[in-house]
Amino acid sequence: MSVVLLLLLPVIAAALVLLPFRKLWAPAVTIASSLVILVLAARIAWQASQGESVTSVLGTGFFKWINVDSLSALILLLIAFVSTTAAIYSAGYMAHGDYSSWRLRIYYVNFNAFVFSMLAIPVLSEPTLVWIAVALTTLTSALIVSFENTRDALEAAWKYVVLSLMGAGMALFGFLLLFAAFEASGSTAAFTWNDLGNAAPGMPPVLLMTAFLFILIGLGTKTGLVPMHAWLPDAHSQAPSPVCALLSGIETSVILYVIMRLFPIMRAVPGSHAATWAIVLGLISVGTAAFLLLQVNDYKRMFAFSTVEHMGIILTAIGLGASNANYGALEQVVSHSVTKSFCFFAAGAVLLAVETRQIASVRGLIRRSPAAGAALVFGGLAIAGAPPLAVFLSEFSIMKAGLAEGSYAVIGLLSFFILIAFFGVMMQINRMVFSAGNTESAGVASGVSSRPGKKFHLPFSCRLALAISGAPVILLGFYIPPPMQDLLAHATAILTK
Amino acid sequence: MADRIAFNMIQVLVVMAFAPLASGVLSRLKELVQSKRGPSIFQPYRDLWKLFHKDEIVSEDSSWIFLFTPYMIFITPIFVTLLIPVLTNYPLFFAFMGDMIGGGFVLALGGFFATLAAIDTANPYGPMGASRTRMVGFLAEPVFMIVFFTVSFVAGSTIPYIVQEKWVTPVANFFMPSHVLLMLAFLMLILAEGGRIPVDNPTGHFELAMIDESKSLEYSGRGFALVKWGGFMKMFVLMSIFLNVLVTPWGLAAEVSAGDILLSIPQVLLKIFIFLLLLVVIESSLSKLRLFRISEFLGAAFIICVAAMIAQVFTY
Amino acid sequence: MNSTNQLLDNLNALAAALFLLTAFGMVAMRQARGVLNLFIAQSLLLSASALFLGLRFHSDHLYGVALVDIIIKPVIIPWLLRRTAPAEIYTRREVNQALNIPTALLAALALAILAYFLAQPILGAVAPQFRNPNVPIGIAGLLLGAFTITVRREAVPLLVGLLAMENGAFLAGIAIARDLPLIVELAVASDGLIVVFIMGVLTRAVYRQIGSTAVGELASLKEAPETAGEERTA
Repeated sequence: MSVVLLLLLPVIAAALVLLPFRKLWAPAVTIASSLVILVLAARIAWQASQGESVTSVLGTGFFKWINVDSLSALILLLIAFVSTTAAIYSAGYMAHGDYSSWRLRIYYVNFNAFVFSMLAIPVLSEPTLVWIAVALTTLTSALIVSFENTRDALEAAWKYVVLSLMGAGMALFGFLLLFAAFEASGSTAAFTWNDLGNAAPGMPPVLLMTAFLFILIGLGTKTGLVPMHAWLPDAHSQAPSPVCALLSGIETSVILYVIMRLFPIMRAVPGSHAATWAIVLGLISVGTAAFLLLQVNDYKRMFAFSTVEHMGIILTAIGLGASNANYGALEQVVSHSVTKSFCFFAAGAVLLAVETRQIASVRGLIRRSPAAGAALVFGGLAIAGAPPLAVFLSEFSIMKAGLAEGSYAVIGLLSFFILIAFFGVMMQINRMVFSAGNTESAGVASGVSSRPGKKFHLPFSCRLALAISGAPVILLGFYIPPPMQDLLAHATAILTK
Repeated sequence: MADRIAFNMIQVLVVMAFAPLASGVLSRLKELVQSKRGPSIFQPYRDLWKLFHKDEIVSEDSSWIFLFTPYMIFITPIFVTLLIPVLTNYPLFFAFMGDMIGGGFVLALGGFFATLAAIDTANPYGPMGASRTRMVGFLAEPVFMIVFFTVSFVAGSTIPYIVQEKWVTPVANFFMPSHVLLMLAFLMLILAEGGRIPVDNPTGHFELAMIDESKSLEYSGRGFALVKWGGFMKMFVLMSIFLNVLVTPWGLAAEVSAGDILLSIPQVLLKIFIFLLLLVVIESSLSKLRLFRISEFLGAAFIICVAAMIAQVFTY
Repeated sequence: MNSTNQLLDNLNALAAALFLLTAFGMVAMRQARGVLNLFIAQSLLLSASALFLGLRFHSDHLYGVALVDIIIKPVIIPWLLRRTAPAEIYTRREVNQALNIPTALLAALALAILAYFLAQPILGAVAPQFRNPNVPIGIAGLLLGAFTITVRREAVPLLVGLLAMENGAFLAGIAIARDLPLIVELAVASDGLIVVFIMGVLTRAVYRQIGSTAVGELASLKEAPETAGEERTA
């Protein structure tokens, strides 16, 4: 029941937001609904960490496709967490722009719809329905990517929609092939992730492999894997920062979760090269993103490229395939989600403070806005993988697992790229935050009028969101709570099956 | 044997006799659609009669090609008539001489001489029309080739008598995708080759816009009569190939008997009449394309042909 | 009975072949409105194919697909597009494609042949009753839709390219994944509606912003060294 409620809440919130009350109404409803979702998701995750599988009690009709196992519960928890912090952050951030109350309501409707479509992905267990949810994530978020309605934002949104849906078209064919393979295996069970795994040995390998490739390329587009990543830095930098946090922090991981679901199935097929494809595509993504990080000139794009890098790392880890590597991959999903959303909150704070996205125009940030500057440094360190923060730990476990497996070349390349990426991110952030000169002059030079000489004060809700999302970044760096460990272990078992 | 030769001759006579009639019917129908009365359907015969009784003027500067060409234009459709099924669905005496590709080449030979003759007189409009005809021809040629290849691919042969069998046995084969697409592509080719409306306006009198007509501007008297008659027959032959081989291989004589042959003549004429109605619809509803758009028209025909080929590969 | 089946097979193959033709047309057609009409024709052919296959294999599900398809795609989608997008999109002609039309068509032919080779192993792996031209032509439709998106710049051809990809996937899908739950088909079709709505709204916003619906002309976001960026703004 709680699962159905979980799905209903954002829909209700999206409807309530439209009511023409005072300006605080929309953010308040959104925050409240996100909090309830977080509580529900935490409860489901708790149940899953005990090894239970949560299904809808209304086991008929559409509802029979609802099933939450520990892997979905983990993703669900992350979505709930990031969307809660993003909702809190939005309250202050969006109030800062001069938007009419009607536009703000549209923002929150889309926000809630976007959260709904993301929640639907792990909750649904029927692959074709999952595809629909994936397509919906694009559609519900398109209008908030273009929210600022500038030429650049529109371009970003257009690219985002067109390329994502192009990928979705490819993936649709993949899912239909998957269904054909499922039917060809003679299985009479329902078409769900679980039964798909059971029926896998009987499926024609050719069909399964073709389906896998179509889905990998199709959904890989939406995850931002490298040859198909062209839209990602645009969309993830042009959207309002809380939306970027959702897009970059969690949406990409959620789509990657769908790809992950295929690996246990593919492993049942003899001679499938799924793992090789994953490693190659993953390493290409990490490598390209790492080198692009060295030459970005927009700090939000920088974090977007770092998302490409992290998706690559996770996919590589999944490709390595051993239980430990899968554990590391899931750990990386968790740490990336919390850290990347923090990074975009920080980037949003910087944007509020200096009103430009150009790295070159921002100097001596620490003097203008200590909070934003500190957050940016912390976020940069965290996302680049500095110890003892969450990303460091998860990357470390991936490398340990890879080395234990003997994949020295893969791990060697991976660590080399990660090192470059670390250098790229830190170089840019260091210039922005600590270098001599200050933002006032740069702001004037770039034609942006900021209030000179005055320290900038971050809205309270932004500080709160930064604090909430910063906590697990630190915590997960040296201590993973036992229930979390159980959840990760159960989820790993599903992936390794 | 003897009757097969005789039937072959009957076939030729039918084409020679009825080709001007088809042209007359077509122009009458077009005029009727435009709410005019139009000339009699026998007007082309009168024109030919008149031209044969007029003096012929030949430029002093022209060579033997100019004199030779009318005969070439006149004889090539007759030659093709010997090869193709006009009245029968079994091969007649001379049919062994060539298949559909051979027939295409023979028709092209007439066009080749017409082009040479147009250049020969040094009339400024002649070479212009000739070069335009060549442009259309160059673009139509690959389409023709692919049509023939696809046909032979589907039917396993380029002999028209075998091909026509293939499309209707069983009748369900009529709806084979390659067949329907080929019909479409071939129809477009007929429009292009016959100088019909989206490509060329056969009734236009403006020399600068002419494609086909300007090649025969210098002819007069008997030469012009032969050129015109040859043109009528070429159109008739193309329609026969289209109708008897590709679209409706019904209503043809099945037995080697004079009665059957004579009975098939009205049926074939009826089919051609129906096709003329379709042609009138096309000519009255479309406008002539600009010269450089003709390549797109034929490009579309090409794509349709290739789609037919692909569909054939995909299906079996 | 057997001859009826053969007739249905041929009719289905014919619908599929014409489907392929419309996909080629979308690559080459200049007028935005013409592209939309091609999409309508393509959707009708898709539902015709579903109908023929349904008759052939007595599948109620395929009748459902045909019905859903014929209601949503040729009727509701153009209507919705007219409601959401600026009227200007219909009057647009696209002169500057990324590739000129003959080249684009040749590339499209190459893609169709590629689709054939992609389909061979699939056809080899499924049961005989699933082997029909829908699979290669569906894949070709998918690839040609993607190709349309990459070479076109106008809003309508781009949108139609997206929807055509979906059509292509489904043309293959009705052949090999025949018993897919109808709810999926319904959901996918309504997904198409949302696609049209969102793209329509975006196009309207773009039109207000740059005064044109040539959305493909939007190309200022890219990775450029900082100096080049300054030159661009200067």
